[in-house]
Amino acid sequence: MNEEYMPKIVGFLCNWCAYTGADLAGVARLKIPPSLRVIRVMCSGRIDPLFVTRSFFKGADGVIMMGCHPGDCHYQKGNYNARRRYVLLKNIFETLDLEPERVDLSWVSASEGPRYAKITEEFTEKIKKLGPNPVKEEIFI
Amino acid sequence: MSNVLKIKKGVEQGVNEFLKFLLESEKVKGIFALRKMNENGAVSYSLITHPEELKNAVPFAPLMPVNAGKILSGFTLEKAINEPIAAVLRPCELRAFIELIKRTQGNLDNYLLISSTCGGVYPLKSLTNGRFKEQVSQYWESVKNAEIASDVRPTCAACEYFIPQQADIIIATVGKKDLEKECSIFLNTKKGEEFAKGATGNIVTEEIETKDTSNLRQKREEQKKEDFDKLSKDGFGIKALVKIFAACLSCHGCSKACPICYCTLCDFDSKTHEYSPSSHEIEIEQKGGVRIPPGTLFFHTGRMIHMAVSCVSCGMCSDVCPVNIPVSTIFSKVGNSLQKLFDYLPGKDIEEPVPFGTYKEEEFTEIGEE
Amino acid sequence: MSTQTESHKNHTKGVIISAKEGINKAILDIFKKSLEKKCFDAILIPVRVPDTESYAWVLLKDQSLLDEANPLPPVMSVQGAKALSSLTKHGEMTQNIAAILRPCEIRAAVELFKLKQIHLDNISLISIDCPGAMPLSDYVTDPEKYKKRFKNVLDKWGEDDSVRPVCHICNRFSLPSLLPQKSAKTSPAKQDEPNLAIPDLHIGLLGGNKEKIFLIPVNLKGRKILEKLEFKPDDSLNLWENKVNEVQDKKEKRRNEFNQELRKKIEGQEKFTAVFDECLNCHNCMRVCPICYCQQCFFDSASLNLSPETYLSRAEKKGALRFPLDTLLFHLGRMSHMVLSCVSCGACEDACPMSIPVAQIFSLVADQTQKAFDYTPGINKKEPLPLQAFLEDEFLEVETPSEATTPIEVN
Repeated sequence: MNEEYMPKIVGFLCNWCAYTGADLAGVARLKIPPSLRVIRVMCSGRIDPLFVTRSFFKGADGVIMMGCHPGDCHYQKGNYNARRRYVLLKNIFETLDLEPERVDLSWVSASEGPRYAKITEEFTEKIKKLGPNPVKEEIFI
Repeated sequence: MSNVLKIKKGVEQGVNEFLKFLLESEKVKGIFALRKMNENGAVSYSLITHPEELKNAVPFAPLMPVNAGKILSGFTLEKAINEPIAAVLRPCELRAFIELIKRTQGNLDNYLLISSTCGGVYPLKSLTNGRFKEQVSQYWESVKNAEIASDVRPTCAACEYFIPQQADIIIATVGKKDLEKECSIFLNTKKGEEFAKGATGNIVTEEIETKDTSNLRQKREEQKKEDFDKLSKDGFGIKALVKIFAACLSCHGCSKACPICYCTLCDFDSKTHEYSPSSHEIEIEQKGGVRIPPGTLFFHTGRMIHMAVSCVSCGMCSDVCPVNIPVSTIFSKVGNSLQKLFDYLPGKDIEEPVPFGTYKEEEFTEIGEE
Repeated sequence: MSTQTESHKNHTKGVIISAKEGINKAILDIFKKSLEKKCFDAILIPVRVPDTESYAWVLLKDQSLLDEANPLPPVMSVQGAKALSSLTKHGEMTQNIAAILRPCEIRAAVELFKLKQIHLDNISLISIDCPGAMPLSDYVTDPEKYKKRFKNVLDKWGEDDSVRPVCHICNRFSLPSLLPQKSAKTSPAKQDEPNLAIPDLHIGLLGGNKEKIFLIPVNLKGRKILEKLEFKPDDSLNLWENKVNEVQDKKEKRRNEFNQELRKKIEGQEKFTAVFDECLNCHNCMRVCPICYCQQCFFDSASLNLSPETYLSRAEKKGALRFPLDTLLFHLGRMSHMVLSCVSCGACEDACPMSIPVAQIFSLVADQTQKAFDYTPGINKKEPLPLQAFLEDEFLEVETPSEATTPIEVN
């Protein structure tokens, strides 16, 4: 594997937990690979599965959704919906063999800076092993 | 066990007489059923209000020009239908109607729902390639013998939900060897019994599930597994999907024909999926070329996300596709997988919420916590 | 209909290119050269999807993609003007692109330009002699057979009737019919209109006997492109012109006869209704039509939703009411909306799941209505759509009848 290959991963982070957690990791200067392109949403429940799908078909090597732990959602229920949508999307990707490993969801609370760093690191490693998204080569997509 | 109205007439004549009874006795103000359009065999769903017009009704014509659930939903979008109407439709059409009602796209009140144990329908191309008359002559033999009628829609050949438990009245056809002599009208609900009061015939009690229906179900389950396995054998994954959808014209006919796709303006027809020239220019810079219009796989995957969990495998999508893409088999496979995941059967129970749009607090608890 | 007009003088000369290794190769080599010489930054052309017999429009920069390109595929997949609209609806191309389109696609693109659905800036339109396309449903069922048949179609230009019916009777298959004609009916105002010839370049195939092709500059832009390609348009186009005229006359005659026959088959309420007995109201025809550009078609909108009481009372009036409702309303309504711009491309008939001859019918009506307005769609960018413009003194014959007026004759 090319040591310098840095995958492009799109991250949808909820404002109140995940984004704050990521911010905390940054402030604490934790070492995080520069793979994630973060898109802040107010709640993980805002994440339309089509956002994830479109990122994937546009060539993102990986897409990760992050939000508050179930039960801790700032808007009470948003992340329950996010969880269902993720499970649905993942199932479709599995059935269609669209490399479901490139899509992930992790709950990260506002105080979990180290957890954010660990998840980003591990997901980046996973994507590195998978290599670039083959969709990038597809003209007729 | 249900009460069954037995009429000593062949099923087509018996049902016509029953429908005539409903209309003439004014128990219903109209009959919604397939009606003959020409000598070729073409049929259209029609709302029949005059009993003389019933002579052109062919409720069992093995064709589905449009999913009836879509039509029944269209009647009652604004509010419930104001007079009782008897609607004769197939099990998948009924399930689609129920799925639409769950999405506030229709109202069940005042419908007397009449369905049948279903032998399937032929692809609409049978009308245009001239094979229809020949196929129909073999159709009823297959139904009587509880066999899969050859050349029906692939989704019909693989359909295990051909007993419409949600209907008020079920006409039993599968496995009934004496179809030409006797008509068995199952009164599945209290409403069905009410409406049937006064109709000519004997009432007996019978079980709609028989050895024959079980046999057919098993055959169809095997066919389904075969169809799905064949899809996987040719492979999925990006390269295979690009090939499968290579001929796609992005006409969106599949979406418009689908009963579950009810949105007046589909997201994929809206400006959200129209791109500026610069976004195309950027893409060809990166890739060397891009298909115009773009987003073929995105459309199909996105449509799966939106509706596959409610897919009733009626097969309309494949029928209207101008380039013969096996949309219905692919969507059925994805739908099946989702329905297993959420332990959900579309159209089975009107009280059961659609999995997409609801949640449980305690479910999939391992997700996201690793 | 003579094709000799003033504008024709601009292109009595062109470039004859050898096509000994095949017409496709000759054309694609020109395109490869044009990318190398930076005539264009990208090209919009049909390309065969690998490992399939399907064609899709591709906007390409990478020359190697031209290997599987085909400027004249055996089928019309997506109508070229629709593809162009998908590219440039929301703005102009910032880069220079060339688009190779059939004559009907060029004309549809011009109509869409008038409807503000295409920005034509920075686009070089290249048209090509078109022998027609094979019926889409036949082709997808048996691509090998119809691929072979298409070779015959190219050989016996205009004679092979295995092409789509509207292609078999098409009288606008080459350059002359893309150029404004001066007819007796042309109003003085129109005759003064500057000649805005579209396309920029035309590839002539007729008369070349499959050994050569003709590269014809149609306007200044086209001549500049040829300059950059280092071609001098000095060669005589007589062979091409003669063959085009010959085929044109045949096709005109065939079109008139066909339309007369078709009219007899469908006219009158009973016959016309019967044509649409098998119509599912799926609206596929509308959706593939390049001219039907509305984000939401009127006939799909909530405007046509009625209350249950209304459905029931309509059913009661007639004894039986067919659903989906208003099939004829949809077709006649769509006709009234778009037929003045109909270019007889045939995409509608290809998309119909019930093989209803919609393209033939719409073409028949289009010919009549366009004639009544002395309007040919897609010929002149500056000519407004008939329903967007009016003269104070016109169509006096449809006003309140008096002894002085007589009914209009439609022939």
